[in-house]
Amino acid sequence: MANKRNPIHIALLSLLLSATLFTVSCKDEEVVVEEENELITTVKLNFTSDGTTQSFKYSDPDGDGGKTPTIDAISLKPNTAYTLTVEVLDESKIPVGNITDEVKKESDEHLFVYTPTPSSLLTYTYGDKDAKNFGIGITGSAKTNSAGTGKLKVQLRHQPPINGKASKDGTPTPGSDDINIDFNVTVK
Amino acid sequence: MNRTLFLYIILLAFGVGALFAQTPKDCDCFIQGIVEDDATKQPIVGAVVFIKELNKGVSTNAKGFYRISSICQGKYTVIGRIVGYKEKSYTISLEHGAEQNIKLYETELHLANIDIKAQKIDNLTQTKSILENAALDQTRGQSLGEALKQISGVTTLQTGSSIAKPVIHGMHSNRVLIMNNGVRQEGQQWGSEHAPEIDPFIAKKITVLKGAAGVRYGSDAIAGVIMLEPDTLPDSTVMKVEINSVYFTNGRQTVNSGIIEGGSNNSNIKKSTKIPYSIGYRVQGTFKRGGDISTPNNRLANTGIEEINYSLSANYKRKNWTSDIFFSHFNTKIAVFSGSHIGNISDLIEAIKRGSPLSIYTPETFTYNIGRPYQDVLHNLLKIKNTVKNRNGVLSLTLGRQYDFRKEIDILRGDRNLTQLFKLTTYSSELIFEHNPILKLLTGSIGVNSLYQENLTTGTLTEPRSLTVLIPNFKNFTSGVFLIERIVRNNWEIESGFRYDIRHLNVYRIPRSGQNVVNNTQNNQNFTGTLGANYRPNARWNFMANASSAWRAATVNELFSDGVHHGAASFEHGDENLVPEVALNLSLTANYVSKNFQAELHLYNNYINNFIFLSPTGRPALTIRGAFPEFIYTQTDSRFQGFDFNGIVQIAKNLSLNSKITYLKAQDLSNNQALIQIPANRWENTLRYDWKKTSVSITNLYVAKQNRVPTKIIFTEIPSSEIIFTEYGGDFAPPPAAYSLWSASASQQFAINTKQSLNISLTINNLLNTSYRDYLNRFRYFADEIGRNIAFRAKYSF
Repeated sequence: MANKRNPIHIALLSLLLSATLFTVSCKDEEVVVEEENELITTVKLNFTSDGTTQSFKYSDPDGDGGKTPTIDAISLKPNTAYTLTVEVLDESKIPVGNITDEVKKESDEHLFVYTPTPSSLLTYTYGDKDAKNFGIGITGSAKTNSAGTGKLKVQLRHQPPINGKASKDGTPTPGSDDINIDFNVTVK
Repeated sequence: MNRTLFLYIILLAFGVGALFAQTPKDCDCFIQGIVEDDATKQPIVGAVVFIKELNKGVSTNAKGFYRISSICQGKYTVIGRIVGYKEKSYTISLEHGAEQNIKLYETELHLANIDIKAQKIDNLTQTKSILENAALDQTRGQSLGEALKQISGVTTLQTGSSIAKPVIHGMHSNRVLIMNNGVRQEGQQWGSEHAPEIDPFIAKKITVLKGAAGVRYGSDAIAGVIMLEPDTLPDSTVMKVEINSVYFTNGRQTVNSGIIEGGSNNSNIKKSTKIPYSIGYRVQGTFKRGGDISTPNNRLANTGIEEINYSLSANYKRKNWTSDIFFSHFNTKIAVFSGSHIGNISDLIEAIKRGSPLSIYTPETFTYNIGRPYQDVLHNLLKIKNTVKNRNGVLSLTLGRQYDFRKEIDILRGDRNLTQLFKLTTYSSELIFEHNPILKLLTGSIGVNSLYQENLTTGTLTEPRSLTVLIPNFKNFTSGVFLIERIVRNNWEIESGFRYDIRHLNVYRIPRSGQNVVNNTQNNQNFTGTLGANYRPNARWNFMANASSAWRAATVNELFSDGVHHGAASFEHGDENLVPEVALNLSLTANYVSKNFQAELHLYNNYINNFIFLSPTGRPALTIRGAFPEFIYTQTDSRFQGFDFNGIVQIAKNLSLNSKITYLKAQDLSNNQALIQIPANRWENTLRYDWKKTSVSITNLYVAKQNRVPTKIIFTEIPSSEIIFTEYGGDFAPPPAAYSLWSASASQQFAINTKQSLNISLTINNLLNTSYRDYLNRFRYFADEIGRNIAFRAKYSF
């Protein structure tokens, strides 16, 4: 063509070329490299007294929905002081994923909350503290009172910082539940 | 896009001095001409030709002739508006200069012979609303959904203030088709928090076609079609630049967008055996950045936005051949309000009880930072279109490729980043032939559309790895053929068309409790039809009646959702056995135009059999994170009935009142109760004062309370002993109260010289800083809507 060197032509040509390049560069890959999503399948409570440990599990290995979770009934002795530790696991993976460690690592934004109903059933005391002296709840003590039955609600509150500002204040209010389960408890 | 029948409007502009006056008066100019259809060679009766600046217009008579007289000298925009054709505007200068002294015996002084190529709009008998020019400029900087709220019948479904998706006549997502510069937009449509991945700055004109428009655009256009169109590319040697800048005080948001366009042709080359050609190009880009926004009472943490978009386009025209290439890139990062992360139903109930967000989520200090959770969405579109004209008609082939990459980054422990990833790749093609009139009577087009898409959320397409994905991998193929024919007569037009579609869906997923990949397939096929008429008894009235059908097969999320929808605090189940929904839409539109009064009333009745929607079961779904209310995708026969009204009254010379009403009643016919999530009725009034190039307006928007909400759980197979959330028919809170919002606006145009112009405007939204909540905003449970927001806009072109 006569006006091949017309600058407009060159601009147009480069435009077309760049468009082609962009198309090539966004050619999609066949495989998605993906970090596995975290899945909490199991919460294990370990009650230790006089060197004996009793473990109770809430387990939902296929995740939300699907099969109904299995929940152990907690059975404790009256007027006894127990050391209570909690384990949070992902049993859908091999090897089993240990989420407790991650909670420990980010203790400044996590809080376990133990709520017995009726409240007279047992008394929970935090046995661990984060850098700001707020409880964490991975280790603590549970002291049962007189015999009775009821429920123990276990919550893991995730309280991540908001725009760099810590939100954990020692209370369950901020954040959202990562775990919220109820165990049946018998004290006898 | 060019399904064209070209229409030529011939505007003849005369500047005339009075014949007998010694000194010609300044205001004796007139414009006259004829409007005719080039295809049929018939004059067009009842076409409206008006001068925008003077708001003065006439209609063409039985011979297609019009004349607007007593015009003062000056520069004007003449607009030709013909039903069924694209509106066309033309700038004309009427001057009495040196030539004015020449004695006038004839009426000719300046004769401008202007051929305007007006593209014929495909649909003649369906109501369309157009947002362009000043009205579009007033929405610059806003998202597409927000901008379209200007149009009666269109509302939004929102997640906070930065994510808005358009709702037409109460329907959204897959039922609203978006045509982005001629290509069907294919993004991630599942969920209310997925806004269209489009930069509205690409468009110079946004058209909303209300009602089922399945035949032409795809069988699933049940609620309507939104078309975004840029200006046509220049075909002469010019270079134009336009810069738009917007600043919003709330969130301290800045939006800057620029367009450079130019062209060239060989018409200046002397002599030739050469075939004329022209080229045009355009480069466009937008940068948006905003920080935390505020409600009237507090600032909401993590509500910023960042967006970088650009587009490139070019075309080449040679004789009867046109080639177009268009590429657009859209990339947005939207922060999701920290207080909206809901762990489970007890978190949500606590949040509702508190009424307003905790103080940790309403910081004193402002920031532009985007923290978790946020969304990062990328959308690329490449379009290549070739059009060839011959004596039988116009043939065009449009090929498109779209790539949509969506990341939803949630609050997670450790350095984990990705919760959900969606990659959707779509290839589309459209071949259309528009034939020239047969027997000078019948015009129309025949076409084939095909679309192939692949969605990847885990592993490879056929080998998904994870079972914890919200949307499984799938591939989807659809194809359809259509034929639309119309008869155009002096004052009536009839249009009829039909379409046949097939759809083949292949889903690859790992079901819960399973280890092996399951492949589910679905095949659907159906006919779609449309029949409509347009009748213009005289220049003032225009009536349209239309009956159209459309159908939509269930989408993957409706079929296979199975899990907690975060933020929505709900456990959603799909249903593999859903059958396609089929809509029959009947509409009637009356349009009246006179000097001081303009009005349009659009009535519709849309029956949808097997309407697919998400309905609460009232039952809790127990998970390790606590209980979530359960929702199931189900089907019912439904009816969407309502009207849209838009009227403008010229109260005094410079003062006008614009009133818009959106009214809708949506009923679940099988269960005999209202449908859930239907926008409330609204009434908007704007009082506007125009004086030369200044305009000032004040607007009141009244949104009623949505009193029509479901009252009972519709799943009869669920024992009532299991149903615990019954208080609000399965919803978590009653619909919010009615609200009334005021806003004010002022704008000024400056014509610096013939080439340069500057428009500036100031708009105050939510003038009184009213606290309110909207039924269709997912944040209504725990946060107020955005407070007062002052927008400064400037548009500079040269």
